[in-house]
Amino acid sequence: MQITFDQVSHIYAKGTPFERVALHNISLTIPSGSFVGIIGHTGSGKSTLIQHLNGLLMPSTGQITLGDAVITPKRRLSHSQRRDIGLVFQYPEHQLFEETVAKDVAFGPLNFDLPTEMAEVRVKESLEIVGLDYATIKDRSPFHLSGGQMRRVALAGVLAMQPKVLVLDEPTAGLDPAGRVTILEGIYRIHREQNLTTLLVTHSMEEAARYADYLLVMAQGQVALQGKPEEVFMQVDRLRELSLDVPETVALVSHMNQMLPDKASLPSSLYREEELIAHLLERLSVPKEG
Amino acid sequence: MLQNIAIGQYVPGQSFLHRADPRSKLLFIILFATLIFLANNTITYAILIGFTLYAALLSRLSLSYILNSLKPVWILILFTVVLHIFITKGGTVYFQWGWFTVEEQGVRQAIFISLRLGLLILISSLLTLTTSPIDLTEGLERLLGPLGKIGIPVHDIALMMSIALRFIPTLMEETDKIIKAQTARGANFTSGSLVRRAKNLIPIAIPLFVSAFRRAEELALAMEARGYRGGVGRTRLNKLTFTWRDVVVAVASVILVIVIGWWRT
Repeated sequence: MQITFDQVSHIYAKGTPFERVALHNISLTIPSGSFVGIIGHTGSGKSTLIQHLNGLLMPSTGQITLGDAVITPKRRLSHSQRRDIGLVFQYPEHQLFEETVAKDVAFGPLNFDLPTEMAEVRVKESLEIVGLDYATIKDRSPFHLSGGQMRRVALAGVLAMQPKVLVLDEPTAGLDPAGRVTILEGIYRIHREQNLTTLLVTHSMEEAARYADYLLVMAQGQVALQGKPEEVFMQVDRLRELSLDVPETVALVSHMNQMLPDKASLPSSLYREEELIAHLLERLSVPKEG
Repeated sequence: MLQNIAIGQYVPGQSFLHRADPRSKLLFIILFATLIFLANNTITYAILIGFTLYAALLSRLSLSYILNSLKPVWILILFTVVLHIFITKGGTVYFQWGWFTVEEQGVRQAIFISLRLGLLILISSLLTLTTSPIDLTEGLERLLGPLGKIGIPVHDIALMMSIALRFIPTLMEETDKIIKAQTARGANFTSGSLVRRAKNLIPIAIPLFVSAFRRAEELALAMEARGYRGGVGRTRLNKLTFTWRDVVVAVASVILVIVIGWWRT
């Protein structure tokens, strides 16, 4: 599902002393099927931006297009259109409320009038996608799970709606490294298997570099930089200005390039860890063979 | 959604009203409320209105924002007006239609009583708009201090009040977030029968309670970790002190009392 923002602004608490411009004339296009990393500091407008995708916030001015649906300051998203956009908030485990895990995950599908049997199938599928065993977990109370498990249940609750667009607001915040990898790998797998359009809000350049094929850097309610990861990471100075860092892989490549002669320099498209390692191993193994 | 509610909202600032001592502001409000009820003719009301407007100017907040605080009670004011116009009789008859009359006393009472309500709300919202919850509870604690001598736990009450005030915005934010999250999962809070709508509140209420208890527990732990052991022997970082501003408030109070006492009939 293609997503387009056309000169979208959002002003909070308009007409009070607390008035604040959170988004300022944002225009951008996200092609269907892309994995977009949204990076920026707290207060840069990331969360405000993604809440517009679901019609939870209405733009103060401008227009948003989601596939066929159009959101304007006066035009809301209909209930059924909302199903296509799965929005996972920060700390989604704080929304769990049902007696059992299965019931909680089924909340979304049932709200969109899916028959009970079909909802059950969806619950099973989505719990397994996030790496939880349906049979053992379905009857447990969500409040007796570990933090990481709770988060995965909450994520399953959104996936069970089978959205076409998946929006995640810092899904790994507060998790240990192993938990981070499990969640992100799960999301990446679904993204590819179900051909979703995915937006991942993150603080971590490493996470963005690893999964995203398009990056949006937000600052002060505006899109400061956008483009393919290698294009964005090339603008080291601009990123520093926004007090953001490049991923360690990119820092390593540029550090090595300073020491290498020009013709032997490493390509800047090597920002993914595995690709960089593979490339370096290949380079280093050449003399041995010859 | 919920962030537009302005009840008890504090707007930080550096105006005269912001910097006056909360104790003198609290005492003044009590005095002013009494004066509002003593006023009984056009001139005394005019003085009180003028004074309230001047105080609003002193706060350096926009007048329209201050007047916003009347929004939640305008129905009550309207109701009072209608009731008095229809029921209170006496004086010249302005309008007659069958047995139904609008008379001088009715109109007079309608105006005065609604002015009373309006002024009371305006002046007390000026207090909350210009006084941070912490200052407010500390002022209250100091004013009620003497009650501690007869065994009333003034400090604990003040602490509970300030915690409650402190967490109103936090819980509002939390509620807003949970509503959004459940809406994103297709929950519908605005349509359906009454029973259905009440049922729809469960997905909001339960997470909200869970998080409120979690916060309470965390707060208690954090307070203990920092050595909190009740009000006994506790010193203050920012002591309240009376300044020239409070002298001004006191003088203004005395003048108001004299003026209202002189002009009322």
